[in-house]
Amino acid sequence: MERIVEEFKKASADPIAYGRALKEDGRKIIAFFCTYTPEEIIHASGVHPMRLFGTTRDSSAADRHLQAYCCSLVRGALAQALSGELDFIDGAVFPHTCDSIQRLSDIWRLNTAYGFFADVVLPVKLTSASARSYFEDVLAKLRSDLEKGLSTRISDDDLRASIRTYNSIRASLSELYGFVSRGASPLLPGDVSALVRGSMILERSAAERLLKELVRAHDGIGRKDTNLKRVMLVGGLCDHPDIYRLLLDSGALVVWDDLCSGSRYFEGAIPEDGDPIANLAGRYFERAVCPAKHSSTTARARRLVEAAIRERVQGVIFLQLKFCDPHAFDYPYLKETLDSHSIPSMLLEIEDQLPPEGQLLTRFETFVQTI
Amino acid sequence: MITAGIDIGSITAKAAVVEDGNVLGTKVIFTGYNVETAARKVYGELLAELGLPADAVERVVATGYGRNGVPFADKAMTEIICHAAGAHHLMPEVRTVIDIGGQDSKAMAVDHKGAVRDFVMNDKCAAGTGRFLEVMARALEVNLDDFGNQSLLAPAPAKISSICTVFAESEVISLISRGEPRENIIAGIHDAVAARVYAMAQRIKADPPIMMTGGVAKNQGVVKALERRFGSPISTHELAQVNGAIGAAVLASGI
Repeated sequence: MERIVEEFKKASADPIAYGRALKEDGRKIIAFFCTYTPEEIIHASGVHPMRLFGTTRDSSAADRHLQAYCCSLVRGALAQALSGELDFIDGAVFPHTCDSIQRLSDIWRLNTAYGFFADVVLPVKLTSASARSYFEDVLAKLRSDLEKGLSTRISDDDLRASIRTYNSIRASLSELYGFVSRGASPLLPGDVSALVRGSMILERSAAERLLKELVRAHDGIGRKDTNLKRVMLVGGLCDHPDIYRLLLDSGALVVWDDLCSGSRYFEGAIPEDGDPIANLAGRYFERAVCPAKHSSTTARARRLVEAAIRERVQGVIFLQLKFCDPHAFDYPYLKETLDSHSIPSMLLEIEDQLPPEGQLLTRFETFVQTI
Repeated sequence: MITAGIDIGSITAKAAVVEDGNVLGTKVIFTGYNVETAARKVYGELLAELGLPADAVERVVATGYGRNGVPFADKAMTEIICHAAGAHHLMPEVRTVIDIGGQDSKAMAVDHKGAVRDFVMNDKCAAGTGRFLEVMARALEVNLDDFGNQSLLAPAPAKISSICTVFAESEVISLISRGEPRENIIAGIHDAVAARVYAMAQRIKADPPIMMTGGVAKNQGVVKALERRFGSPISTHELAQVNGAIGAAVLASGI
C-alpha cells in the first residue's frame, strides 16, 4: 500500500516534474484548473489532462497582470505560465467558474503561447430549462476544437472508454475514502487527499490500475483511532498536506470533505452507454455544486448537512482560500445552517502558505477540544 | 487539591497556584529566549514565594504558545480554553472573553460552565495586540504603564486610520510633527486597537457580560475604547494578566 500511496504523493507534491517526465516520453499534455473541466474529452483525444494547483514559489511575475484581490491559485498558475515553468504543456482548458479564472483565461491567451487554448463557458444556473442542451453544445464544441487543434479525431467509443476510466477512478477514490472514514484502512486522511490530488496528475490508466490495486489490498483492518474527533473540511482547493497532519496532532480525523481537491472531484458516476456528450453534461447537473454555480438556494447547505450526518461528523472546518469570493459569499449561510443543526464549525483562511504552525495548532486544538 | 498553571506567552511567562478554587499566588516574568527555562524559573520562584515544595502540587497544566515546551506539565491546553476557564473562575457570569496578549488577540464566547462555545483569533498581523501598543508607546516616548491613564485625559482622540502597525506608527509620527497633543494620539491608538478587536469579535456572538483578560486588560484606555464599541461595560480583574495561568491551574484539577 505504501508504495502506491507514495506514487500519488510524489506526483501531487511535484506535478511539474511528473508532467515534464511524461512529456519526455512523448505524451501531449493539456493543463486545467478546476473540477468542472470535462477531462474525459481531453483524455479521449489521447492527450494527458493535468491539473495545476498554483505554486508556493515566487509569484511576482503575475503581479504585472493581476490585482491584489486575486487568489493565490490564479496568481501562482499565471506565474508558472509566464516564467516558462510550464514549457512542457501543449495547451490549457479554462472552464468559466469564478471571475478570477475567467480573467486568468484572458491573460493567459494574450500573454502565453502554449498551443491549444479553450474556454469552456459553463452555464451558471444549472436549473434553467436550456442549461443542459446549452452545455451539451459547449462540450461538443470543445470536442471539435480539440480535434482541430490537435489534428485528431475523438470518436464516441473513445469518449465512452474515457468515461469508463474516469468512473473507475472515481469509484475507487470514493471507496478508499469510505474505508478511511469507517476506520477500515491503515491509510490516513492525508494519504486519501494525496490519492485524489494525484489522480488529477498521474497518467489516468496508471491511476486507475493503482487505485484498484489499493482497494483490493484492503482487508477491512484499520487504524484504532477511537479517541479522535471526526471532522469534515469544506472549501475550494486544499493543497496543504500539513493540514491533515496538524489536525491529527490536534486529535481530529478528517472523515469527509466538500473540497474541489476532494469529494467534488470524484462524486457522481457517468452512464457508460448512450450518447457520451449528453452523459458527460448530465454529471454537471447531478454532482455536488461548487459555489461558483447555482443549482438551488439551499442545495449546498443541504448536501453539507447530509454529509455531516452520514459521516457522523462532529465538527466542520471551512478552509477559505483568501480572496475566493464564491466561497466567501457562501460561508455565512452555510455556517448558519450548520448552527441550526448544532454542528460546530470553524473558519480558517488559507493562502498558498499556511498560517504559522503554532497559531494553527492553537486553533485546531481549541476547536477539537470544544466539539 | 493544589494545582498549578503555567502560561508561556510571547512576552511574559505566568504561573498560578490554586488550591480548591482559591488562588494561592501568581507570578509574572519575561519569557526570554528559552521556553523551558522561563517555565522552570517562573514556577520555581512562585513555589518559593509560597513556601511550597514541588511535590505539594498534584498536577500542572501548561498553556500559551510555549505550552508544549514545559516538560514537567501533566498536560498542555490551548490558551483559548484556559482563558475561558480562568475568566469563568474569576467571574462565573461572563459570557464573552476578550483576550489581548502580546502577539495576538482573541474573542471567546463562553457557556455557563466556562467552556468555549465559539472563538476567533487574529493571525495575520500585529494590529490589535500588545505589541502594537508597545511600538506606539516607544514612538511617543511614554511608559507603557502610563499609556492607559494618559488616554483617559484626551479631549479629542486623534484618528488613526491605518490598520498596519508599521504604517500606523508613521501616521502617529505625522500627528506628533503636526503638534497633536500626546494624549489625543494615545486615545486614537486605543480606539484603533478597539476597532480592530471589535470587528473581529463580531464573527462570534459576543453576548454580555464581557470580560477582558491578558496583559492589555491593565490598560484602561483600551478597556474604555472597547466599552464604547461594544456599548456595554467590560469587566477586568486585577489578575487579568495571569488569567490564562489561573485557568490552566483550575483545569488541572479536572484532568
